[in-house]
Amino acid sequence: MANELLFFMEVLVGGLLAGTMYSLVALGFVLIFKASATFNFSQGAMVFFSVLAFCGFMQDFNIPFVLAFILAAFLMVVVGLCTERLVLRPLMNASEDTVLMATIGLGYVLEGLAQAAWGVEVRRLDLGIGDFPVPWIADNLKLFISALDITAGLVAAIMIIGLFLLFKYTKIGLGLRAVADDAGAASSIGIPLKHIMLLVWSAAGVVALVAGCMWGARAGVQFALVDLALKALPVLIIGGFSSIPGAIIGGLIIGAVEKILEVYIGPFFGGAIEGWAPYVLAIFFLLYRPEGLFGEKIIRRV
Amino acid sequence: MSDNSVNILDIKNIEVMYDNVILALHDVSLKVPKGKVVALLGANGAGKSTTLKAVSTMLASERGKVTKGSIDYDGNSIVKQNPSQMVGLGMVQVLEGRRCFGHLTVEENIISGAYSRKLSKGDIDQELEKIYTYFLRLKERRKSQAAFTSGGEQQMIAVARAMMAKPKMLLLDEPTMGLAPQLVAEIFNIVKELNQKEGVSILLAEQNTNIALKNSDYGYIIETGKVMLEGTAQSLLNNDKVKELYLGISKKGRKNFRDVLKEESLNKKIN
Repeated sequence: MANELLFFMEVLVGGLLAGTMYSLVALGFVLIFKASATFNFSQGAMVFFSVLAFCGFMQDFNIPFVLAFILAAFLMVVVGLCTERLVLRPLMNASEDTVLMATIGLGYVLEGLAQAAWGVEVRRLDLGIGDFPVPWIADNLKLFISALDITAGLVAAIMIIGLFLLFKYTKIGLGLRAVADDAGAASSIGIPLKHIMLLVWSAAGVVALVAGCMWGARAGVQFALVDLALKALPVLIIGGFSSIPGAIIGGLIIGAVEKILEVYIGPFFGGAIEGWAPYVLAIFFLLYRPEGLFGEKIIRRV
Repeated sequence: MSDNSVNILDIKNIEVMYDNVILALHDVSLKVPKGKVVALLGANGAGKSTTLKAVSTMLASERGKVTKGSIDYDGNSIVKQNPSQMVGLGMVQVLEGRRCFGHLTVEENIISGAYSRKLSKGDIDQELEKIYTYFLRLKERRKSQAAFTSGGEQQMIAVARAMMAKPKMLLLDEPTMGLAPQLVAEIFNIVKELNQKEGVSILLAEQNTNIALKNSDYGYIIETGKVMLEGTAQSLLNNDKVKELYLGISKKGRKNFRDVLKEESLNKKIN
């Protein structure tokens, strides 16, 4: 009995920590959705683009780890700048659907650019953190939990605190929340939408880089990272598209539920239900709580 | 030419089209003298909002365009400006329907109005205190989420937010829409006070003809995108046509819809 409980705990904790990796990807979506009410289909490509550039800087140019990371982050700011200038500004007054389609196109451009610049082979990314159980925890708590998962959890926690402080206490954060609420009214009082867009896309780019590092270290830096972003969709549906805490909690729920279902119910379906179980959960949310757990409800006075 | 220095806003014969096909304004000319309150009156769809948005350059975001005529603000053409530049020049529009940031607190809403100005934390607090002297009600509710405040309070937030940008000129689009009579009076008192104490010039679009004219210096009446009548507020209030069509008062006493219908059917019989 004790063993079974321990096993469940291990599955749960492993799932929760793996879920923070989804959260990191989902965070990028939330940032852009907040400012422009658009689902950014190119987020996956941004993850791939940023981490491939990071690897390229380290492996092809022998740039040290920290410097390469800073360069890659800077590159993502440049990508944000170009996106604002070349894609968003010309579409400033276009409908949200048009912008949505533009992000799909942007995704293809980024994928193409990344592969043209750095090649198509799978790269290994060594963060110096192993994807194997931490011996101390294994010995003392009898739980086998990967060091990479723990790192991802810590990184996600730091990112959410940082973003929270940015939004709550800085001027540009106030501007961003104003734009998220009513872009027209924000522009009527002189909040320049283009600065906000630039900020948001750059921040989403840096978040993509962090998420890419975590996933790249686990699964290798490869084209499949683009599709990984799709996993963020059920996370967002559950957490709410416009909520940063929602992205984190949504990721945790998806991570835990998919692992638990895989282990306990998976065998009845012949296994590998991890791939689609989150979407089933997402459908239930769409039916019964479409704004998600933390999505901003439309406030109506009575 | 001395005209220019007196008028903070000078609109000459503008025509506005939406989507390159829908003609919203045919021919609107109006002037706002520095430090005055000018009312722009008319029914729904007459072109009041369109005129204000043409001035604040917010038309572009609704696929509208000034196709003829000119708009000069403070002696310069506004053709090449965008909304945030106009705010920088001291022209702020308070949009129709209040448009508060619902998820932000009352105070955050007001502070957001100072976004275009480079102010220190201390300056902002000082400005905020000054603004609160005009909007006492908002000070009590500073920590509430704006979406949960009343309609009148939301209108005050919208005006207070605009005042934080330190405007030389305010464009108010139907500030009393859907408000109870006492609140309408309260809002107009504040507007009047801002005009007198802060020296802000005001262009006010309203359907509430009577109270708008009583609080203005000059008025324009527009219908289907054209200025039909203009004059000092007092002359418009005494004008028979205005009384009959916009204030519901005629020489024969109050005229209501039934009387109009009766008159029409009588005319038909005669014909």
